[in-house]
Amino acid sequence: MSDRPGIIATVETISNNPAGPALTRRRFRISSIEVLCAVLLIAILAQGWLQRVFDVPALRTGSTVFVAVCVQALPFLVLGVLISGAIAAFLPARVLRGLLPRRTAAAVGVAGLAGAALPGCECASVPVARRLMGQGVAPAAALTFLLAAPAVNPVVLVATAVAFPGRPEMVLARFAGSLVTAMAMGWLWARWGRLEWITERALKRLPEVENGARWRVFAETARADLVESGGFLVLGAFISSALNVLVPARWFGVLGEQIVLGVLVMAVLAVVLALCSEADAFVAASLSAVPLLGKLVFLVVGPAVDVKLFALHAGTFGRSFALRFAPVTFVVALVCGVLAGVVFLGGVS
Amino acid sequence: MRRETQNVLLILLGGALVKIALNGDYLRYVKPAQQPWIIAGGAVMVVLGVVAIVRDVLGARAQARPSAPGAAPGPPGDAHGHGPGEGHHHAARSAWLLVLPVLAVFLVAPPALGADSVTRTEARAPQSAAAADAAVFPPLPADPVVSLPLNQFVSRAGWDRNGTLNDRTVSLSGFVVHSGGGTLLARLVITCCAADAYPVTARLRGGDAGHLATDAWIEVTGRVVPGTATKANGYTPDFAVATVKSIPAPKDPYEY
Repeated sequence: MSDRPGIIATVETISNNPAGPALTRRRFRISSIEVLCAVLLIAILAQGWLQRVFDVPALRTGSTVFVAVCVQALPFLVLGVLISGAIAAFLPARVLRGLLPRRTAAAVGVAGLAGAALPGCECASVPVARRLMGQGVAPAAALTFLLAAPAVNPVVLVATAVAFPGRPEMVLARFAGSLVTAMAMGWLWARWGRLEWITERALKRLPEVENGARWRVFAETARADLVESGGFLVLGAFISSALNVLVPARWFGVLGEQIVLGVLVMAVLAVVLALCSEADAFVAASLSAVPLLGKLVFLVVGPAVDVKLFALHAGTFGRSFALRFAPVTFVVALVCGVLAGVVFLGGVS
Repeated sequence: MRRETQNVLLILLGGALVKIALNGDYLRYVKPAQQPWIIAGGAVMVVLGVVAIVRDVLGARAQARPSAPGAAPGPPGDAHGHGPGEGHHHAARSAWLLVLPVLAVFLVAPPALGADSVTRTEARAPQSAAAADAAVFPPLPADPVVSLPLNQFVSRAGWDRNGTLNDRTVSLSGFVVHSGGGTLLARLVITCCAADAYPVTARLRGGDAGHLATDAWIEVTGRVVPGTATKANGYTPDFAVATVKSIPAPKDPYEY
């Protein structure tokens, strides 16, 4: 135990602080380990008090929803970082480049359809898209994949079919609306997107991995991605649980009559509720007062942009990216959802 | 945040996930089918954390060994300095947020959703309501008392045109909600996790359900009052109560 600070100091020195060995050798430096221990200790001592504080109905509901979103989403995030690690370690950048068409516009199309192959929800696709960028895939194509993967994969489409029995056109409309949203965002990015909006660390190329180091790179990439995205996922879960408690239920009630208002409110609800794309179809189906078009918009907007995703995007690609990407995605998804509704559901009623 | 702290947090968080998946508490938060996912996800987190710690310790030992001035070109410790892990120093502050679910699971251990969510969310028709044809509602078994999930009961009461519920004694279980001067029997239906829960409710008429505590779990028998589940009241049928019995809260509190 007594030689532990020494080891920690050595690692710090190696990794990021070659200039300050004298500083790190001091004995009682407060580091995050000590802070973590203190936080845990205080929390354990104050457990009784904590439980009393959380015994208010609204807080109880909020904390349950918070833990539920974390427990539900973390395994998918783990899946995402494992895929991201595997891409970094086993799929060299030049192989990946060979797989995608050279022209960006065509690559966007391929990336959109490739999204259908990742049977996860939105949390899994964020680290994967970021790793694709890091491996030299055009950002436009990576972003298309980011938007398409959670919305058009087979698991989500089957869930939609089950939630809307006897209405196969709903599945078609969702598929088309989401795919067009993803591709439109890719093309918009290819035309107007600027690389400097994306934080440097998301774009950094990894050096070519030599054969002996593959597993090490795999584990290390997955670990670093998990720590980074995990924090933002928790932030997103926190926001969405707070909104879950705060958004008044009346919003759902008055949507029947006003079609334009109804569609808008459903789009906003998709953003603030931040449901998993595998579950949102059932929630939409249960809202009997809402017209079909509103439900469709809810399903197209939800997987593309919501508060949980905004937190994840801001953390992964940088705030200046997320602040531009989210509103544009919202508008594009809203428009594509309405268009898909007009084409496949035959009008707005 | 330092690497070591991140690794400890990963192990704690992964451990928390595995713990609730194994002791059954996960049913308060997600549907049963999620269990293998949670165990696998938690286990991977723990493994990633442990592997990183072991490799750091070994690497640091190799570095500290004075007899190797060249620090052996290939050892793991070297890769960390220049490898893919480098990026985490910038975004490391966000990693502190991982403490929140750890504390929430181990110390607060939030209960399953109950009456508060029911009053907060408007009751809705169950999903099968979309297809209101007879095939969805086969005749009930001929037993004198038929045990039904509340979910089933409410959709039959609201949508079944053949009246398979009429004049049949059914047994329902759920928790008590006092709302708008009446007493409701409620269950929450979830699809994935508690965040997408929506309530199904039946209004208890007669019996002595009025002075039961909110959130108390009960099993009631009785009959539906036909034609009382309408769009206006969010498809909450009236239920003429014959008997009320207290039951312990089930391990698996949601319907699916």
